[in-house]
Formats: sequence, structure tokens, C-alpha cells
Amino acid sequence: MAVTTETLISMKSIWKFFGGVAVLKGVDLDLRAGEVHSLLGGNGSGKSTLMKILSGAYVKDQGTVEAGGRPVVFAGPEAAHEQGIYLVPQEPKVFPNMSVFENVICGMRAKPAEMLGLVQKYAQDLGFEGSLSDEASSLSIANQQLVEIIRGLVRDARVLILDEPTSTLTFKEVKSLFETIRLLTSKGIGIFFISHRLNEILEISDRVSVLRDGVIVMTEPTSTLSSGDLVRAMLPAGEAKVELENAARGEVRADAPILFEASHLTGEGFTDVSFKVREGEVLGFAGVVGAGRTELAHAILGLDSFASGDVLMRGKKLTRRSPRACQDAGIGYLPEDRHLHGIFLDLPNVDTMTAGILSRLGKPFISRKREDEVAKKYIDELQIKVSSGAQVSRTLSGGNQQKVVISKILSAGPELVILDEPTRGVDAKARLDVYRLIRSLKKSGISVILISSDLSEVIQESDRILVMHNGRIEAEFAQGDFDLERITASAFGIAG
Amino acid sequence: MSLKNVFKRWEFILLVLIVAELAFFGILSPGFLNLGNLLYSTNDFAHVLIVAIPFTLVVITGGIDISVPSTMGLVSIIFGLTWKFAGFPIWLAVIAALGTGILAGAINGLFVANTDINPIVLTLGTQFLYSGLATGLSGSIGASGYNGIGGFPDGFNNLAYGMVFGLPNALVFSLLFAAAIGVFLAKTSTGRSLYLVGVNRNAALFSGIKVKRSTVTTYVLTGLGAAVAGIYLTAYFTSSRSDIGHDALMPILTAVVLGGTDINGGAGTILGTIIAAVLLGYLKQGLMTIGVTSDVSQVMVGIILIVTIVGKVLAGNAAQARLNRAALKKIGSS
Amino acid sequence: MKFLMKLLKRREVVVVLLLAIVVAVVGAINPVFVRPATLIDIVTSALILILLGVGESFVIITRGIDVSVGAVMGFAAVCLGLAANAGLSVPLSFGIAVLAGLVAGAISGAGVAFFKVPPIIMTLGTMGVLRGLMPVMTGGSWIDAVPQTVKNFAAARFLGLPATIWITLAIVIVTTIVLRRVRVARYFYPVGDNEEGAFLLGIPVAATKFAAYVISGGFAGIAAIFFVSQLSFVPMQAGSGQEMRAVAASVLGGVSLAGGLGTPIAPLVGGVFLTAIDSILVFLKVPAFWNDAVAGAILLAVVLFDYKIRTMMENEKKKARMLGRASGGLSGGLASGRKPADAQEGLR
Repeated sequence: MAVTTETLISMKSIWKFFGGVAVLKGVDLDLRAGEVHSLLGGNGSGKSTLMKILSGAYVKDQGTVEAGGRPVVFAGPEAAHEQGIYLVPQEPKVFPNMSVFENVICGMRAKPAEMLGLVQKYAQDLGFEGSLSDEASSLSIANQQLVEIIRGLVRDARVLILDEPTSTLTFKEVKSLFETIRLLTSKGIGIFFISHRLNEILEISDRVSVLRDGVIVMTEPTSTLSSGDLVRAMLPAGEAKVELENAARGEVRADAPILFEASHLTGEGFTDVSFKVREGEVLGFAGVVGAGRTELAHAILGLDSFASGDVLMRGKKLTRRSPRACQDAGIGYLPEDRHLHGIFLDLPNVDTMTAGILSRLGKPFISRKREDEVAKKYIDELQIKVSSGAQVSRTLSGGNQQKVVISKILSAGPELVILDEPTRGVDAKARLDVYRLIRSLKKSGISVILISSDLSEVIQESDRILVMHNGRIEAEFAQGDFDLERITASAFGIAG
Repeated sequence: MSLKNVFKRWEFILLVLIVAELAFFGILSPGFLNLGNLLYSTNDFAHVLIVAIPFTLVVITGGIDISVPSTMGLVSIIFGLTWKFAGFPIWLAVIAALGTGILAGAINGLFVANTDINPIVLTLGTQFLYSGLATGLSGSIGASGYNGIGGFPDGFNNLAYGMVFGLPNALVFSLLFAAAIGVFLAKTSTGRSLYLVGVNRNAALFSGIKVKRSTVTTYVLTGLGAAVAGIYLTAYFTSSRSDIGHDALMPILTAVVLGGTDINGGAGTILGTIIAAVLLGYLKQGLMTIGVTSDVSQVMVGIILIVTIVGKVLAGNAAQARLNRAALKKIGSS
Repeated sequence: MKFLMKLLKRREVVVVLLLAIVVAVVGAINPVFVRPATLIDIVTSALILILLGVGESFVIITRGIDVSVGAVMGFAAVCLGLAANAGLSVPLSFGIAVLAGLVAGAISGAGVAFFKVPPIIMTLGTMGVLRGLMPVMTGGSWIDAVPQTVKNFAAARFLGLPATIWITLAIVIVTTIVLRRVRVARYFYPVGDNEEGAFLLGIPVAATKFAAYVISGGFAGIAAIFFVSQLSFVPMQAGSGQEMRAVAASVLGGVSLAGGLGTPIAPLVGGVFLTAIDSILVFLKVPAFWNDAVAGAILLAVVLFDYKIRTMMENEKKKARMLGRASGGLSGGLASGRKPADAQEGLR
């Protein structure tokens, strides 16, 4: 990584509003040639918005952007391309019905025949598997991402923005991507690397900036930082490090009855998974993204029509699984993506909270009183920061939105709660509340399956840990054997 | 729901517009404001009202049904056919007709719920099929063209012209239907789930809501509404025709959209739809009274539809821009 | 052999083969059917549908829909009739028809592209407005006759076939070539295939969508020329119901309703097929009033069949991925079922 002192991009005092709410509140950020500059921040901190402004997809409300020392104003993405800036989106945007080659040169003014040689060269350099004439719909996500990177190179990009590039890649593909990044920076290209994966940031970047609440709170060389430093930088000012006594967790009786059993579940993303959960047990599912845990959860819920294998509650097999059937059987699921699958953003909180128990709110007519009672109950219990149940969910912070969805799950009175990445995009205070919730659930005899990519969190909260890697259960750890290094190694598929 | 405040304002505005338009036409043509005349003229647009009510549900769940006009025509023909050629007593023919509408709606609903085919395309296709069936059936019994099947007993024809409690039958039915569906939508759990499906289909699924069942229900109810409207129009025109209701889609859609229902789903009320339908209906009546042809009023309805949606988009953009400017002012220049 | 396989994958080819088979079968039952005169008649009747379909294809490729094409054609026909009867020269009257179509298309396009009105609503609105305008323009009556000079257009012959067939063929070929070679014309595909992706690559999405509707209107205007000169009068219901057939012809021939796929050859092939079905029904002694029902059933069948095929292929891919990882494969194929929720968005 040949970092130079040449500044490619300089952003000063960038402000951006959406509907009167400031998402970026005066951001200062710069990028040097040959540098990998990581941008870290929680969900909703504004990382994507900032990069979309830089790449011409959004228009800033105030502030300046300088490229190569001169101020630039982008009317659209094409203008940014002309300045050598290219954004590789979090989810690659390929055209499924066009060939790879057409995908790469789409929108460019040069004649296709002229571009062929260049595209072939880049494809080869980056180790692209497959032919340029393949239809893009047949590409794996990793290869789709390569297509995006080639798009940038072919447009003479000097600045590449990689937005959460590793969230859908396997371990091997991540390694491959990092090699590509090193290759590119050796040629003087500057890279913005947006991620929330601390270990990757520490491995690949030269500098790290942390974006919190719309401002950059820290920009430092990576060599001077530890993951603890990064975590602390993301916490609101004045928050002490999260500490909870292991002792307060309580014990699981070894002879507690088996509540839930998954038997030889196989589906898209996971193979032959079997495990049991006892009453009052917190079972942690550790792994990296892509290990298949969410796919497993969806299959348990009956959302994967290809899954084979059985799910049993208290020894009784669930014959036809669906979210409704699982709920009736006592299984609750907190979705990994709360915006997509969990919350009704533009409706009042109470609507989300009661969405699972509509038929219990009164027959034949929904009792407004009962609705409000439910809302009040969970606002108090989970300490949700809202004025009332009538407040529209979109105006809530990530942590409070998560609590609203949790209310919905709990309102149905489950015996087993599956939490899928419950603290993702949640501020530190709300995170504490989630941990408290897990413990109180356990105390009241409700079992929890905790799916999380935050391995310290899994260790902290679980009674037992299963590690999934590449769709299989790789290892099991009993409470006495919790060891962060060994669990991490398992999660990455390294035999320990 | 706190959204009710917003809607209350819009429905109120619509009511004010009705008063304004009645006054306007009343001034231009004094006979227009005769109460009996006003009530009676609701018969002209009762069919729009009846279908627009369940149609609102379909739009709330994020769908659309282009096939309602052809369902009306098909129902009309089935009714005439079963009565005249299969010898059904009138009441049985009515049931056959209602059943046809329900079946047509169910087919739409099942396809929409169980495939990812776009509802527009699907109902465009069933519209083609249903109207084709209607034309085919009416042709095969020699009822094509402008004649249709006629000769229904007076009792039946009077359905369209009779009164109950001093109000025209069709109006009374519409109001009762609207009340039933409105209460269903606002107060029952199934009704609430329709909104949730419209706002975020996936979240509704994960919440345990039976999304497929809700979807099918909305289309079946729309088919039923189209059937009732088809039967009503048959009595109104005293003849069964395959092209009955063929120009009703636009007024129905306009009424739903003008009434405040979001075309992308998730918001809307029955009350808004009714008021908007009445507003549009009296607009047409008023125009006719002052000598404007129905073709011109069709043009106006089309323009109203477009302007409503464009207006919503522009208003939304303006509101965002205003909020952003205010926020920018607050931070000054840093 | 490989070339043959590749050819068979194209929907247009399949439809042509299907048509050939059907014609052969019907011809065997009733030899009158396969006489050249009959076949030429079929093609001539199909021309209007083909032209409407070509215009409609542009819109569908951008993931939109235009249900106003029939009304636009009617409107353009009225303009043509009025102009011709008012004494304007034939070329000028024809030009007015096309202009009328372009203007109507521009209105729809502006609504969809710049005001983000859902295509179905916008074009329903335009359709209603135009349908209402037609009788207003003619004073309520039909246009009973047009000058002979206009009718001559339809009657002209070239190399033994009606000139109209040659012209339509030329139009389709030119359009196909333009779509393939002209850089700006290629923009329709990415806009329909992945609108956000197109935007991020700097493609002018709004302008492209606008152009699609203008083109659709233009072709409807051209169709009006054929219509008026073939029919020699303009009824008030001119074009009514044609939009469905135009969509059906395109979809049948291979234009995907999800956008991003299809060529102008599709409505050519699909249009001939649908028109042939009408004739076939006649030859099989099926009364004409069943034509629409059959066409509707065919369209639904095509749409459903297309869906079935797509789902089957996706399931195959899924199974392959599952098998791949079950045997321990590491790289690639990790879509993990996370696909953007796209299916319902486009045509609204």
C-alpha cells in the first residue's frame, strides 16, 4: 500500500437534510492517493449518504467537495465519473438480462469494440471467473461486485468507494477482495472502505474515520488504533464501556426439559443442521455474515420452500410451518433487517406493536383501549423513548425502532424467541437494554436463540454457543469453554 | 391512529368542494338544486360508488384491478342468459350473476396472491378474457350489438328506479355497503391487516399476518361489488349487455385516488372514496345540466385523475424542500 | 448445432415455429387457409397491431405500460381524417397524424418520467382524456369518408404485395437495428432492467422513459395512418381495446413485462400470430365474437407460462447452489436469498 501525500478528495462541512432532519451535520473527510481509508459508523450514521453525495447520486445541501484541489459540483453520477470517482454500491446493481461486457460499458460513450481489450485486461487482473459474454443474472454476488469494480476502473476511477463490500461474501472471497484492494492501491488509486466489521477495518485500512451522529469524531492512522478504540469512538460521549456481570446471568438447569428441536434442517444456505434448546436457555449462534444463520431462521419460520428437515416444539413436530404457525406454536422471530421485515415505518408505533396479535385485541372490533394498553405496557417495560404509541416509527432512533419490533414479538407471548442480530445499528444505551431484556426473558423461563456476528456479545449473553460456518454447525462450546479466539477461528472455518 | 388527523382534513376539503360545486351548478341552472332531483341523479353514478368501495381495499393492499369493467359486462350477460335461456327465476339469475362476480374476483385474487406477476398485467389479462367471454356469450345467443337481452319483469327493472325511505334503492345500498366495508376496514383485525400489507408486505408476513388470504379477500370483494353494479346497471338500462360499465374504470380509480387513498398502498379510507365518488358524480350531472356533453366530462375526470396524483407528488416535494430550507436556515452559514 | 440451440432459446423463433406448425395443421384441415391470398390477408390485417406493438414494446422494455395506445391511434385517426377532409395534402395529413401521436405520447411520458405518476394511472388518464376529446373534435359523429388519395396508400402494391406490408417490415427492421446499434437507443434496456443501476451509471433515466412514451405515441400515429386508409372511415370507437392486443402481441413475441428484454421483432411475430388465430377461428367455423376470449386466454396463458418457466429456472439455480454447498463448495453463489423486492414495483 503506497500511501502518498497527494490528496485526491477533500470534503469540508458537508450538510445534508432529509425532510428537515439533518443526517450529515458538517462532515470533514479527505482521501489520499494509494490509501485505504475506512469509514466506520453505526446504521443511520450517514455513511452511505455521504458517499452518495461524493459519487454524485445525492446533492449536498451545504459544504464543499474538492477533487484534485479544485471545487467540484456534481449534477449526477456521470459528472462524478468524469472526475474519476466511482461508487461500488453495497448491493451490486447489475443488469440481469445483459452480458457482463455490456454491463461494464453500459452508459459509456466509447465504442464497444474499443473497450473490449481494456475490459478483458481488468477482468483478468482482478481474477474474474467466467466469460465476458455470460449473462449477468448467472453471476455470484462476489463476481457481481467485481463487475462493479471493473466498471469503475474502466472509467479511469482514481477514487473507488466500496460500500459494505464484504457483507455478502464468503471468507475466501473477502481475502480475494483484499488482494484486489492492495493491487489497486499500489497503482495510486484511493479507496474509501465503508464497513462495520472492526477486524476487517483493522486489517486493510491505512486510516480510519468514525462517523457518529452526522459528524466525523475521529480520523486516525490505523496503526495507532485497537478495536477497543474504535468501539469507544462509536459510543456517544460520556458513555462508559459496556459491562455486565456474568454472574447476573443465571444458570440453566442441566435437566431442564427440551423446548425446541431442529432436526436435520437443509435448505438454501445451510446443510444438515440439528440442535436442541432447553427451557430457559440462551443459545448463541455465532458466525460471520453468510454463515447461513438467518437462512436457517427463515427456514424454521417456513419461509424457505426448499427446506427439508423437521422443527419440533416440546416434542411435537410442526407440520406446516409459516410465520403464523410458528407464532401460534410459541416461536417468535426478531428479523435481521428490521426495516425490510420487521417494522411499519410510516405508521404509528402501536400499529407495529400490535401487528402480531390483531385477533386478540377484541372481537369483532379492535378495542382501542386494549391497543393502547399493549403500547403502554411495552413502552414502559422496554423503556422506549417515544411520546406515545401514536408516534410514527420513522422518527425513532434505530435502537427504539428495534424495541418496537421486539414489543411485537413479545406481545404474542412466545416461549422461544429467536433474535437475529438484535443490536445491529443500535446505539450503546439501547444495546444494554437488549442485554437486560435477554436476561429477564431467561429469568421468566423463556428461551432465546441469539444470532449475532458480534462474537463478544454472543459470549457475554449465551449459556451455550453453536458456531456456524458456511451453512454447517462447525463447533459447539459449553459455558466453561468460551474462548473468543477459538470461537472466532471456528467462525472463519479455521479448525482449532 | 394519528394519521386520522391528516385524512380528516382532506375529507373535509372534499365535502367543501361538493358544496361549492352544487352551488356553482345551482347558480347556472336553478332546477339543479331540487332535492328530489339531486337524490334521483345518484342513480347515474351509483355503480361507480358500489365498485369503488371494495376497490379501495385492493389499492390499500398495494394492488389494482383493471378487470372490473369487464366483470360487470360478464355478470350482466350471465344474468340475462340464465334468466332468458336457462329459464332461471329472477332471484336465481341474480345469484348466478353474483357468483360470477365472486368467481372472477377470486381468480384475480388467487393469481395475484400466489404468483409474483404484477397485478396490473394480470388484471389486464383477465379483463381481456372476461370481456371476451362476455362478447362471446352474448354473440352466441344473438344478443350482440346494441340490443342485448331485454324483457325483464318490471319488478326487477324497478330495482334501479325504486325508492326506500324516500331514497333511491341504489343509494341506500351503496351507503350500507360502504358502512359495512368501512367498519370492516377500520375496526376489525382483518381490516387492519390490509393496511399493514399495503405499507410493508414483508413485515406483515413476518408478523404472522395471512397475507395471501387478505389479498384474495380484497379481490373477491371487488368482484362482488362489480357484480352488484353489473346487475344494477342491467336493471337501469333494462337490458343485459356485454359492454355495460365499460367506461367505469376511470371514474372508479379517480374516486379512490381523489378520496385520499395512496396508489402505492398503505393509506386510504372508505369515507374518502365515497365523498370523492359523490363529488365526481355530481360534477358529471352538473355539467350535463348546463349542456356539457358526457365526453367532455370524461375528459375532465381524466384530467382530475392526473392532476390529483401529480399534485400529491409536487406537494410532497414542496414540503420536503420547505423543511430542508428551514433546517438549513437554522444552522446559518458555518 | 450450437447456433441452432441458441436460436431456439429466443422466444421469437419459438413463436414463428409454433405459428408454422399451427398454419400447417389448419391448412391440412382446410386447404383454403394456406392459399397465398389468405396468408397475405392475415399479414395485412396484422399490420396495425404490429405497429402498435412496436411502440408499446419500447414502453414495456423500460418497465412501464401504455394502455392509451388504442386511444392515441383513434385520436390521431380523427386528426388525420379532419385534416384530409379539410383539404390538406395527403403527406401533410399523415404528418399531422404522427404529430398527434407524438404529442399524446409526450403528455403521458411527461407524467411518468417527470412527475413520477405510475404508468398505469397516467396512461389510463391520457386514454380517458383522448377518448373524450375524439367526439368533441368531430362534433359527435363519425368521420364518414376520407379522400381517395388517402385510401390509395392502403391500396398501393409493390412487388406483388401491398406496399403497407413492405413499409411495416422496413420500419421493424430499421427500429431493430437502431435499438441495437445506436448508443442512445440502447438506454431503454438498462433503464428497464435495473433503474437504479442505470441512474448510477449516468444514464438519463427520466429522459429515456419520456422518450419511450413519445415513441409509443408516434407509432400509434403511424398505425392511425394505416387504419384510416385501410378502413376509409373513422368510427368513434377507433382503437378501442387495441391496447390489450398490443401488449399481448409484444409479450407473446418475447418482450418481458419485467423490463429490459425484447426486440421489435417480438410484436411483429406476436401480432401475426394473434391475427392468424382470429383467422384460424374463422376457418374452424368458430364465430367471430369468441376472438377476444381466445386472445385473452392466450395472453393469460403466456403470462402464466412465462412465470412458471422463470420460477422453475430459479428453483433449479437454488437446488444447484444447495447441492454445491452440501458437497463442501466454498466460493461463489452466496446470494443468500437476499434479492431486492422488485417484482411489484415496476409497472406501477
